[in-house]
Amino acid sequence: MTDTQTPTIPVWDKFIRAFHWALVIGVSTAAVSGFLLRPTWINLHIWAGVTATALLLARVLWGIWGSKNARFSGFIKGPREVLAHMKELRAGKAARHLGHNPLGALMIIALLGTVFLLMLTGMTGLGGVFKTGPLGFASTFSIGSYTLSVHKVLAIFLLVLIGLHIAGAIFEGMRTKENLVKSMVTGKKESREGDHDLAEVPAHPIWATLAFGVLMGGLVWLWLFLSALPPFGVPAPVPNATYADECSACHIAYPPSLLPAKNWGSLMVTLDDHFGEDASLGQAATDEITTWLFENAADSVDTKPAHVFSRTNPEAPLAITETPFWKNTHRNIPDSVFTRPPIYDNGNCVACHSDAESGAFYPANISIPKETTP
Amino acid sequence: MKKKLIIATGAAMMVAAGVMANAQRDAIVAGLAAEAGVSSFSAEAGRALFLSQNTGGKAATPSCTSCHTNNPQAQGRTRVGKVIEPMAVSANPERYTDPEKVAKWFRRNCTSVLGRECTAEEKGNFLAFMMSQ
Repeated sequence: MTDTQTPTIPVWDKFIRAFHWALVIGVSTAAVSGFLLRPTWINLHIWAGVTATALLLARVLWGIWGSKNARFSGFIKGPREVLAHMKELRAGKAARHLGHNPLGALMIIALLGTVFLLMLTGMTGLGGVFKTGPLGFASTFSIGSYTLSVHKVLAIFLLVLIGLHIAGAIFEGMRTKENLVKSMVTGKKESREGDHDLAEVPAHPIWATLAFGVLMGGLVWLWLFLSALPPFGVPAPVPNATYADECSACHIAYPPSLLPAKNWGSLMVTLDDHFGEDASLGQAATDEITTWLFENAADSVDTKPAHVFSRTNPEAPLAITETPFWKNTHRNIPDSVFTRPPIYDNGNCVACHSDAESGAFYPANISIPKETTP
Repeated sequence: MKKKLIIATGAAMMVAAGVMANAQRDAIVAGLAAEAGVSSFSAEAGRALFLSQNTGGKAATPSCTSCHTNNPQAQGRTRVGKVIEPMAVSANPERYTDPEKVAKWFRRNCTSVLGRECTAEEKGNFLAFMMSQ
């Protein structure tokens, strides 16, 4: 309408445009929640990742049954054509591609592939470290921690790719004197002499939609099915009434998985001077509680708290709040927050970690309560 | 009619429970009196013990009031934030009805606060004070 002289033709179909900008939102949300926000935002991060993955699946199907510029068979080129395109670029005589040019096509594959790997490593990490999600039943803490490091590297790599993608779009737009970002909104480009264009192919939106529906349904079912399986290395201790009565008379019922059996053993024989109080018990109760703690101690549990708190502070081997991990993760919280009501003490985990007594300590379950009057 | 009956039964049960609790407490006090060789205890001495500031025990707990507050009818709080129900019998009728529990907490808390176990007389005075509150 604005430019009646030059004929414009449709290049990016509605799906491609919607997909592109939806992925921008999904990846931005994942990046912001992953890099910048506190761990309490983990669920937003997961859902951003799940959304990006669903978009990716739709894009792959549209790469098979979509319109000509959406199809992988149309824009994925072999190394010879990529090299030829680069040679033409250097010589300053590369023709304009209406769809993806051979280099741009490589970028599309790299971007989609990296998002896919981010989903895989994220899911494995979530399962192994936090014992939740579809791989919670299979992934171990060591696998999970390792894949989370890979996840972080991939995330930085994706940011680099996005930077290159934007740079490429700017470069190509300047080279061919057109606004490529606008084209990704309107879907249209000017038709010019000598353009590389692809042969028309009919799109099959019904097949793609059907395939998407069936695959998504299957994946959601699989997700729910796998997520419901008992998590790996997280035994559910049979509650012990004596432990609950005696130990949580003064403090929260610390889950036995927070310390190794060796440390519980030392703690149970020094109850007459228990963190500055006499908490001694009769022999029968001491024995019963010790046995129960040993059976459910960190040594046989694969959760993150069981692993990180097993690295105790040699100066204070019984205090979870003295472990390097505890100190590091709580370093930005002023002492005054811990002493104010309704928290009162840094040993009162459950004041902020609503799932503390289960031993899970999932990041999304953290909420520091506002100060109350005692 | 039915409602009245339920209320009446409830009230009767509460009275019965109160009578039983009193009997259990009296038995504990009688045991302490026999052990101490006295015929009665002093609530005033119990009060003094409850409010006393000490140095013989553990540093964090110089007094009963460190956790139980100065007011026996109020809730206290452990050093890690857990609520302690009131010590006064009037505010917490279940107090001092289980001899094992009474013995356990006297043993622990006397060592924490005084650095030694309490005598039977001190325990009796303490209970007399809490029962008068």
